[in-house]
Amino acid sequence: MNRHTLFGGAYALAFFAFLFGPLVIMATTAFNSSRFPRVAPWECFTTGWFGELFGNARLMEGLMNSVIIGVGVVALAVPIGLAGALALSELPAKLRSMLYTVLILPILIPGVVLGISTIVLWGQITRGTGAGFLYNGYFLTIVGQITFVSAYAMLVFIARLQRFDATQTEAALDLGATPGQAFRKILLPFMAPAIGSAAFITLLASFENYNTTVFTVLSESTFTTALASKVRHGTDPSLSALAVIIITLTLVGALTNEAYQRRKEAEAGGRASRSPLYANPVTRALTHPGIVFAILVTVIGGITYAGSQYDSSVCEAAVLQEKLDRQEELRAEQRERIEAQEAEQGVTVPKPDSAFGGAFGGVGTPAAPAAPKPESPSAFGGAFGGITAPEVDE
Amino acid sequence: MPDQTPDRSVLLDHVSIRFGNFTAVDNANLKINSGEFFSFLGPSGCGKTTMLRCISGFSEPTEGKVLIGGKDMAGVGPNKRPTALIFQHLALFPLMTVAENIAFPLEVRGVSKKERRKKADELLEMIALPGIGDKKPGELSGGQKQRVAIARALAVEPDILLLDEPLSALDLKLRQHMRTELRAIQKQVGVTFIYITHDQGEALTMSDRVAVMSRGVIEQVGEPDRIYNRPRSAFVASFVGENNALQGVIKGQSGDLAALETPMGTFEARVGGGRKYKAGDAALLFVRPEQLIPGATENAFHATLTRQEFEGAANHVFAKAGDSELRISMVNAGLAGSLPGQGESLSLGFAPMNGTILPVGHMASDS
Amino acid sequence: MKQLKLAYTSLLAKHGMGAALFVAISVTLWVVVFITLPQLSMLDYSFRFNLPADQIGTEADHYTLEQYHSFFFNSDGSFNALDITILIRTLIAALIVTMIDVLICYPIAYILAHGAKGVAARLMVIGLIIPYWINEILRAFAFRVLFGSTGVVNTWGMQMGLWDAPVDFIRADVALYCGLAYAYILLMVFPMYNAIEALDHTQVEAARDMGAPLWRVHWRVVLPMAKPGIVSGATMVFMLTAGALAAPQILGGPSSLWFTQLIYQWFNESSNWPRGSAYAVVLLVTCISFVLLMMRVFKVSVGEIGK
Ligand SMILES: Nc1ncnc2c1ncn2[C@@H]1O[C@H](COP(=O)(O)OP(=O)(O)O)[C@@H](O)[C@H]1O
Ligand SMILES: [Mg+2]
Repeated sequence: MNRHTLFGGAYALAFFAFLFGPLVIMATTAFNSSRFPRVAPWECFTTGWFGELFGNARLMEGLMNSVIIGVGVVALAVPIGLAGALALSELPAKLRSMLYTVLILPILIPGVVLGISTIVLWGQITRGTGAGFLYNGYFLTIVGQITFVSAYAMLVFIARLQRFDATQTEAALDLGATPGQAFRKILLPFMAPAIGSAAFITLLASFENYNTTVFTVLSESTFTTALASKVRHGTDPSLSALAVIIITLTLVGALTNEAYQRRKEAEAGGRASRSPLYANPVTRALTHPGIVFAILVTVIGGITYAGSQYDSSVCEAAVLQEKLDRQEELRAEQRERIEAQEAEQGVTVPKPDSAFGGAFGGVGTPAAPAAPKPESPSAFGGAFGGITAPEVDE
Repeated sequence: MPDQTPDRSVLLDHVSIRFGNFTAVDNANLKINSGEFFSFLGPSGCGKTTMLRCISGFSEPTEGKVLIGGKDMAGVGPNKRPTALIFQHLALFPLMTVAENIAFPLEVRGVSKKERRKKADELLEMIALPGIGDKKPGELSGGQKQRVAIARALAVEPDILLLDEPLSALDLKLRQHMRTELRAIQKQVGVTFIYITHDQGEALTMSDRVAVMSRGVIEQVGEPDRIYNRPRSAFVASFVGENNALQGVIKGQSGDLAALETPMGTFEARVGGGRKYKAGDAALLFVRPEQLIPGATENAFHATLTRQEFEGAANHVFAKAGDSELRISMVNAGLAGSLPGQGESLSLGFAPMNGTILPVGHMASDS
Repeated sequence: MKQLKLAYTSLLAKHGMGAALFVAISVTLWVVVFITLPQLSMLDYSFRFNLPADQIGTEADHYTLEQYHSFFFNSDGSFNALDITILIRTLIAALIVTMIDVLICYPIAYILAHGAKGVAARLMVIGLIIPYWINEILRAFAFRVLFGSTGVVNTWGMQMGLWDAPVDFIRADVALYCGLAYAYILLMVFPMYNAIEALDHTQVEAARDMGAPLWRVHWRVVLPMAKPGIVSGATMVFMLTAGALAAPQILGGPSSLWFTQLIYQWFNESSNWPRGSAYAVVLLVTCISFVLLMMRVFKVSVGEIGK
């Protein structure tokens, strides 16, 4: 039995290493001054990439658009999802499973198909009616995303609705409420927590979506599509900085939520209520979700301030100098060798080798000065990338 | 109490309720009087809740009519009927406080907040739970919830209060206490109570009249003692209280009495429901355990004692006669008395008026 | 239709006019305008020529099979092996990714349902969800950082002497497979977990008690229970992987396109919408038939999905 527990624990550790390893490494690269996101070689600790991130006009504009679209999607997808859940709860079994299949399908249909079908339909409508105002990136993206985002909301509502005791509505009717009153005063308040989580999930889904949005957004861009085009056209650690921000927000949210859940459980009674953490007034206050949140925000605020004051320019200058020196050295070496070769057999132009191609990802090898194969490809490729990496778009 | 009490009667006029081919209530035809405490008693699944939902307006009868206070209720929704229903699981609103729960009927009628609170406090006073208005239902005990549900239903000022097995979730002691309390509340407010239960103790102790139901059919309506002493069908005889049943053949009938031949001998007993039998008809004879008297001379027979169950006030003795086992209830006479021992032969008998002859039909143990 | 009307009346009686209208209108809008019409419109478009705007609606604008024809055949009449290969490769790759996810998620789902308790279980659930909150693009980016030629994998691999020149993981599609498998782990774990959790743990203990080795317990007791969850998760992972666009664009090698990228090119680079629509229809039909086939094989209904 023990052997199995051990194996299970080891497996879980490996699994979560796979889940978090890439994120941790990516986050770490946000603090390395190297122009290419990497951990090794470590050049200088820097917070400059955060500044670079906020200075990216296209991303920031996309962020704005994402917020507008997200609000629109939440405002429509949440009620539609609720309506779907309510409709399913009233239908006889056979029709219910049919409607369920239809409504859940948009989650499974490839996002590109949803995006394409949306622009094709509204393109035709626009052509047919001349209602050109409909054919814009905001409207189409909201419409396209609603198609499947509503299904997420619906799943949340179905789960909540399953726990609703239908006699509550009957009791309200029996006590003289009109059906409308019973709906507003009994069912809606019961659904309220689910409305909150559905709104959150739909907002996240809208914000994150790429496959559909990249078609429907037309010439505009959302945060995610701007991000994607940035990644496709060349990477730099300001994206890692963004990841750091998102991971931090996520952790703050998760921890606050955890504190809230624990407290709720403790208040509902049970084992947690007898925990010494809740008996002592100091620790009890400290575990209040509000306090937890405040502490986290304060700590992060402090770190952010300290980070913004940190100046890595001296170190960076030193590293740059070192690189220039090294490059100079290599050039000198190269010159010597070429001279030696020329002296022997005329001219050769060495080709950039695949190591560089890798360093620049799928971007394609930039017009780089020809260089000979160095003794240590890794160090060289890195140093090279650090200096002459292509300017990322804008 | 106003001089002119409103008409709080309920008339079920040949009501049948069907779900597809299944008949849940079969031709119920009876009148519940104004101000009466009326119970529907029957095993679970016999259609009691269905009947109640039909009276309160959650469903319409497939056939027949429901009249409340003399008015036909067809097409009148549950929120428009002068009824209030206490649900089997109470259906208190968990997100509202107790006071908000109780005042909900007033809230939906647009009564001001202050007045609502006043009325809620009054009702809490009445159910002897003052000061719990600001708690949530989740913080109350079972008995408290029960009473809050009653207060909430009474806030509607209904003519008819419908109660669907409201005590079934409580423990025994509380259940017995609540019986008295319910009865007292009913007397106080003068509202017609229609009470549903599968527990005959509840039905017999609280009610003015009881309707016994089985398989959607109302088998008998009457005062508790009549239901117990004068059952009109094999089902009622076997469902209400303990009973011994003997199968036999009618030898003859004269007036209220008939002679029935059984494997244990021929017995003379009262004919249930004033029916007429011919010689040779198959019939059942029911005799209550406490009415089988050792040493009685009328309808005497011999039985062999097989086992005993001691219950305090009474002793349940089981004896074999012919091929049937009989149950005999003997009062515990204390140390002064003496009980027969195992394997002993007993002479038993019963008064003809205490035996009931009924036509063969399904029994409580069948359903 | 009659049943729809019945459901509407029951809604009306229960929740009132406002709610019933709200439900009826919203659901109709969703089903008709958001789900059905766009698909029909795309289907219609895929049977048309790619015409300049001023010719649409004229004589020249009639139905044609040319878009589908050009998926199967080149203009010279030879088999369009390029595009068909891309489709097949996409499906196979999606299948591989799905299987990888089934394999790595099953133990975790089991541990979560029957091994981990209290704090550990909660931490695991949070740990599973958190990566899912990070933008899809950034998750793909993380794998690019990881597998780049100066990425951690290459650096460590070379430091440990496993290989001595940087391996191009991107070109070899390793980064892509890892990134895709990573992206949809959550969608695999939770349906599996829900299914396995329903299993009474004493059954596992009873089977162990009778001397069954662990693998047999899983094969005979746990797996049958987990099956609907596995199929539900696998369907979602397969569909999302086959329909993925961001990860292939970011992590895909320059030589191997994903089918969605092909569609993207027809739309955004060649501006040939009818062709793009036809390819989208091909993708949709292939994926759905494939999933339906799998469901038939494993005897699971669509209703299980999303639970
Ligand atoms: N909505 C319904 N559809 C079909 N059958 C029902 C419905 N409601 C109740 N029944 C059936 O009617 C019978 C009586 O149910 P009910 O009135 O709840 O019994 P009771 O309250 O006496 O226990 C049961 O067999 C039950 O299955
Ligand atoms: Mg009932």
